[in-house]
Amino acid sequence: MVELFQIAAEAVGAVVKRFTTLSDAAGYVTSAVGAATVAAPDLPPAVRRVLPELTLAAPADFAVAGAGISVARAGIAATGSLLLELSDPTDRSATALPPVHLVFLDATTIVPTLADLAGLLAENLNRPAPVYLSLTTGPSRTADIERVLTIGVHGPKELHILMMEGDATWTRD
Amino acid sequence: MDKGLIQQKLDNTFLRRALKNFAAAYPVARAKAFEGMDFEELRGRISDFKEGGLEQLPALVEQFTASAEKAGARVHLCTTPDDANRTILEIIRSKNADFLVKSKAMTSEEIELNHYLEKNGVSCLETDLGEWIIQLAGERPSHMVMPAIHKNKEEVAELFSRETGRECPPDIPSLVQTAREALRSGFLTGQVGMSGANVAMADSGTLAIITNEGNGRLVTTLPRTHIALVGVEKIVPSLTEALDVIEILPKNATGQKITSYVSFIKGPTGGDGRELHIVLLDNGRLRLAADPAFREALKCVKCGACANVCPIYELVGGHVFGHIYVGGIGLVLTPFFHGFDKAEEILKLCIGCRKCNEICAARIDIEGLIVDLRDKIRKPFGQKFLFGTLMKNRKLFHAALRTAYLAQKPFQGAGGRIRHLPLVLNRETANRSLPPIAEKPFRDLILEKPESRVPDSLGPVHGSGSREKVLFYSGCLADFVYPEMCQDTVTSLEKLGYTVTFPQNQTCCGIPARYSGEMEVARDMARINTDVLLKEDADYVVTICPTCTMSLKHDFGKLLADEPVYAEKARRLAEKTFNFSELAARKAGSRAQTPGLKTQTPGLKTQTPGLKDPGPEKTGETVTYHDACHLKRGCGVHEEPRKVLRELAGVEIAEMEDCDKCCGFGGSYSIKYPEISQEVLKNKLETIAATGAKTVAVDCPGCKLQIEGGLEAAGSPVKVEHSATLVAKMIG
Repeated sequence: MVELFQIAAEAVGAVVKRFTTLSDAAGYVTSAVGAATVAAPDLPPAVRRVLPELTLAAPADFAVAGAGISVARAGIAATGSLLLELSDPTDRSATALPPVHLVFLDATTIVPTLADLAGLLAENLNRPAPVYLSLTTGPSRTADIERVLTIGVHGPKELHILMMEGDATWTRD
Repeated sequence: MDKGLIQQKLDNTFLRRALKNFAAAYPVARAKAFEGMDFEELRGRISDFKEGGLEQLPALVEQFTASAEKAGARVHLCTTPDDANRTILEIIRSKNADFLVKSKAMTSEEIELNHYLEKNGVSCLETDLGEWIIQLAGERPSHMVMPAIHKNKEEVAELFSRETGRECPPDIPSLVQTAREALRSGFLTGQVGMSGANVAMADSGTLAIITNEGNGRLVTTLPRTHIALVGVEKIVPSLTEALDVIEILPKNATGQKITSYVSFIKGPTGGDGRELHIVLLDNGRLRLAADPAFREALKCVKCGACANVCPIYELVGGHVFGHIYVGGIGLVLTPFFHGFDKAEEILKLCIGCRKCNEICAARIDIEGLIVDLRDKIRKPFGQKFLFGTLMKNRKLFHAALRTAYLAQKPFQGAGGRIRHLPLVLNRETANRSLPPIAEKPFRDLILEKPESRVPDSLGPVHGSGSREKVLFYSGCLADFVYPEMCQDTVTSLEKLGYTVTFPQNQTCCGIPARYSGEMEVARDMARINTDVLLKEDADYVVTICPTCTMSLKHDFGKLLADEPVYAEKARRLAEKTFNFSELAARKAGSRAQTPGLKTQTPGLKTQTPGLKDPGPEKTGETVTYHDACHLKRGCGVHEEPRKVLRELAGVEIAEMEDCDKCCGFGGSYSIKYPEISQEVLKNKLETIAATGAKTVAVDCPGCKLQIEGGLEAAGSPVKVEHSATLVAKMIG
């Protein structure tokens, strides 16, 4: 399933990196982000602990941040898609405005197809509170000029999926 | 339709190339996206729940409204475009705003929202790249999913240069980057954001938005007020149905397994000061949903696939082939959303090939709806006499055709070809091309050969013992233009073990009348032919024109549905009506039983169980096969003709590319729109030439007429033959 997910995600232009420890993943984040500021309003405490040197951008400055970081709730193997729960508009902006989007994904949450995600989606949508869920598949794209596929229009130009194959219970914190 | 505009589009080389490339690339990408999935099953489900939803649409609207409001959204049901425009303006004004930042919504095009808002002091910014391009150009979308497919990069560069005030080179990645930078401030400063929605869920009040560029997420996130403009037909009961729509839409639209973003929005997120207004647009939908004859049109999920596969759209684009909604379904929706005056001309542009029906994500009978809608539009002058007086009287009609044989004589030899018999007799079209009507129609020839109608003269039948009886329904075109094709049919069927009778009182199947919107005349024809063909007791009725087959098999039942006695007769007729290739194919497996059939083992007359069928002599000839639209998609027949050709005619088949794509005939279409018809034909001739075959086999006299005409005009030696002729040649 992990392999299928990786193939599908890469086919649509995502970068997939597989890690067994959070510190390895943190190293990748550091090298990918460099010195840029980061839009990461909802980072789990465990990630913040291993990435103390990150310069977090204020929400008002997300438009000029170098990257956004988020945590996926689930993945779909057939399409390489990520399910993100982004009911807070600030969380949403962090995944929509910066040119690079890094997403942590717990490999055990990957399901085969969209239909297999129905239960989780319904659980979220049937709660009384307002909710905003986002299925993200690859970077932002367009083919509106002469049908030439071009990556990176209004959303991120790069999508990096950090697939956690070891203990990743922290993603649910 | 404005002939000048059609010609302008046909002459637009960029448009032609863009659409042609897309038409070629789309099926490949689409097939890959659907890999491992059962498209028919999926669209069958969609068709079912959409149908069910439309029957109780008012209840769904109510349920959705309650759920969405419970989640904190405000729902506004708007009856007319005016109501919707006004409501949206009021929401914007209530926020003291004068700027609306938009992601793509076809509903907004439908109500011409931008125009209305600009007039009232609100500026609008389209942020979907394609929509922005056409907003800058002051045009309307030419495709539902790719609105600016008609614009080339040079035109886009010019528009962007003008807008940004700096020189933009015609380089696509850099143009996309320009759009990203130029539109950013719009997202960040827009006070109110607007989106459409692809599906709305009644049980939870959730909207789902399917996008690629990421602008949809921005306009529903950055502005504190979000307005979603949604057609009421987008409401489905629950997430289960919504997921089916999300599953099929991107695959059918652009050949993507899924788009970059699918957003599920329930209520206004973000706490205080955040508002979600859902403007539900009726604009005739609720009334249409209550109309059992046409409600099917609202099953549309707006994937645009019907345009992607349409041979006419491929030539002229969406600015001709549609109004605001384009493609096949655009033709159908226009009269209901925008009035019949807007639909009158475009409804005539459909050639009737049914490619759209085959691909439709909701299994809508798009072509059938287009034909039914023609009944409701004004009829051209002269048509009343043709259909009302002439066609209704068989003797008069056939006498006119015989006269036409004489009248055409002085004009023959100049390449003037018949396009469709009944209309040839119309004064409007008579001077354009006169038909090579045969000196003696088949109906006369068969009377001169009475022996062919006497079963005993055919010799004994082996195997089954008795010959099955077939009534031959030739269709006008074969009868009056290709009598030899009819002879070949009789010869083949007799040699294959059938007894053939030709009922003299058969008349036109009524399709030309139906396609011209003369439903009453078509109904008359259906009654006459039903009576004639059921009068004699026979096992089968066989046709050699797929359009006639379709008419006898499907249309008669539909036309006569309200007359119990005739409806029953039509059902009986439909049951026993088959196309030649279907009936012939039944004998393909047991050829050795067939008297007179040349086999590789002369003298072998009876089939020994277990003995391998020796097969016919091979002619060594290679033919290519053109699937007639009405045979493949009208009758669902495409394997049988190949079986007949290989096993009974003894030929090899070299398949041409797009073998089931229309040849451009379309009956009277080729007279009404010769410029379009000829361009469609050109594509067909190219694919034929590429096979190197010397013969094109067809199962339709109309296709033969069209393709033969094209080949002759091009000086090609390639022949076009009906399967019945090739079979007769082999076993006759």
